[in-house]
Parts: sequence; C-alpha cells; structure tokens
Amino acid sequence: MNEDMRELERRSRAAFDESVESQDAATRSRLARARAKALEELRGRRASGPVLWIPAGAAAAALVAAMLWQREEGVPMSARTEAAVGAFEDLDLMAAGEDFDMLRDDEGFYAWADDQTPDGVG
Amino acid sequence: MDCSATLAAPMSFGRRDETRENTVDRERALDRFLAGIERRAFRIACLALRDRAEAEDAVQDAMIRLVRGYGRHPEHQWRPLFYRILKNRITDFQRRRKVRSAVMALWPSHGSEDAAPDPVESAVDPRGSPDQVLEGEELLARIEGLLAAMSGRQREAFLLRNFEGLDIAQTALAMDCSEGSVKTHYFRAMQTLNEALGEWKK
Repeated sequence: MNEDMRELERRSRAAFDESVESQDAATRSRLARARAKALEELRGRRASGPVLWIPAGAAAAALVAAMLWQREEGVPMSARTEAAVGAFEDLDLMAAGEDFDMLRDDEGFYAWADDQTPDGVG
Repeated sequence: MDCSATLAAPMSFGRRDETRENTVDRERALDRFLAGIERRAFRIACLALRDRAEAEDAVQDAMIRLVRGYGRHPEHQWRPLFYRILKNRITDFQRRRKVRSAVMALWPSHGSEDAAPDPVESAVDPRGSPDQVLEGEELLARIEGLLAAMSGRQREAFLLRNFEGLDIAQTALAMDCSEGSVKTHYFRAMQTLNEALGEWKK
C-alpha cells in the first residue's frame, strides 16, 4: 500500500474510533441489555439443566446413543459419563434452535481451535 | 467400614463447588469480553447493514450464539468466533432484505411504509459542530456509502482489519477464507476508497 492509502487507513480508523466513543447513552444502554440477556440465557440454561430442553426427537436420539454405549465393553464409567454430558449439550444446542450454517464449512477453523486448546478441552 | 462411601460425598461437593466457581468465572470473563467488544461490533454492524435496528439485532444474536455455543472455548478464540457469527448474522439480514425487496417489488404500493427517516440518525448533535468531529463523521459517512457498493468480502475485510483491528490470521478465521484472500480483499477495498475519496486529501 502506498502512503496515501496508509494515511486514509489511519484517518478512517480514527473517525471510526471517534464514532464509537461518541455513541449515545440510549445505544449503550441497549447494548448492555443485549449482553445481559445473552448472559441470562447462560444462567437459565445452567439452572434448568440441559435435558429439560431436549425435544422428543433429540431425546430419542440420545437414548439410542446411550443404548449403544451401554453395549461397549471396557469403556470406563467416567468416560461414558463425560461423553454422555457432551452429547446432551450438543443436543441442547440443536434444541435451542442454533443453526449450523456456521459449522458446516469450518474444518480449518476447528482444526485451528483444537490446536489452541490444551488436552482437547473446550 | 466402607471408607469410600464417606469420602465420596465431600469430594463430589468439592468438585461441584469448583465447577460452579469455574462457571461463574467464565460468565464474568464473557461479560468482560462482550462489554469490551459490543460498541465496536455495533458500529461495524451499522456500517455493514446501514440499519440501526437490524445492527442491534445482529449484535444481540451474535452475543447469544457465542455464549450459548462457544462460551466454553478458550478466551482467545472468542473474538474471531464472535465476528464470524456476526458476519453470518449480517449476511442473513442482507439475504432477508433481498427477499423482502423482491417481494415488495411485486406490490410497489407497500414500499413507502419504511420511508420515514430514522429519528436517531436525523437528530441534531447536541455537541454542536466542531470542525474536527465533522470531518471525521463526514469521512465515515462517505466510507459507509462506498462500503455499501463494494463486494461483501471487501467490505468484511475492511471492517474487520481496519476498524476492528483484527490481524490477518484472525480476519481470515472470521471470514472463513485464506490469509492471502484477506490481503487481496483488503487491498482492493483500500484502493477503491482511496480512489473515490481523493478530495479528502488536503
């Protein structure tokens, strides 16, 4: 990029920062409410427990999966429990109406995310 | 005496307390993260959508989806994840708008209902009009108009790189494309703006 573009880059960023700083109180308040709502959902989900949100179809799928796990021998109980909790949480996401457009073509992103996560947690 | 039974209860309570503590910490971290990002995200959504109500909805949806789906991911992943979700929400709104316009075109008499000016946009700035602020706002308004005419990828690259300050790798993750594509889209966006805004140079 030439010097003109660098200058435009700098000035436009300054103009943007200024517009963020001068946001009116009503907008700030609405954004804070939106954040509270997002976090409230997290608390609500924790309090109610994921299983309650699973609709019949998803619950049936979970049941089939659980039956298959029961048939596996040599899998420690703790691993089964952890896997079951993970499966229920995934189903909970589906039950909550999350669309998976974002996840469909994201192998690269999740490979990166896995690399960033110690011991495969998260 | 079965010691395992007596020991099991306190250990499981301890583990539960620890989990609860971790969850509360995570919630606080999410709160801090969202509080730090929400105003810039809203301005970026406004510039992409040119509609404050839709921008608010897009940001709120992105917050909820991040918390719901990715809150347990490591913190350093939240920013590119959040912007990827926001980008997808913005695209959804733009698609919906296209469908709505196509439908409205069939019944033109209904098209004038949304024509009223946004009272927030048209409000007079109570701070008066100092030259420097006006210059910045004017520049931003022109950029907004030019961004609307750009391809979606160029607009995203410009907004995420220059306004949000994501580096090339994070922008590539948020846009779901290669780093080379980010560089190309960003350069083309800057080139278009530079050519169109020749007169801002003094």
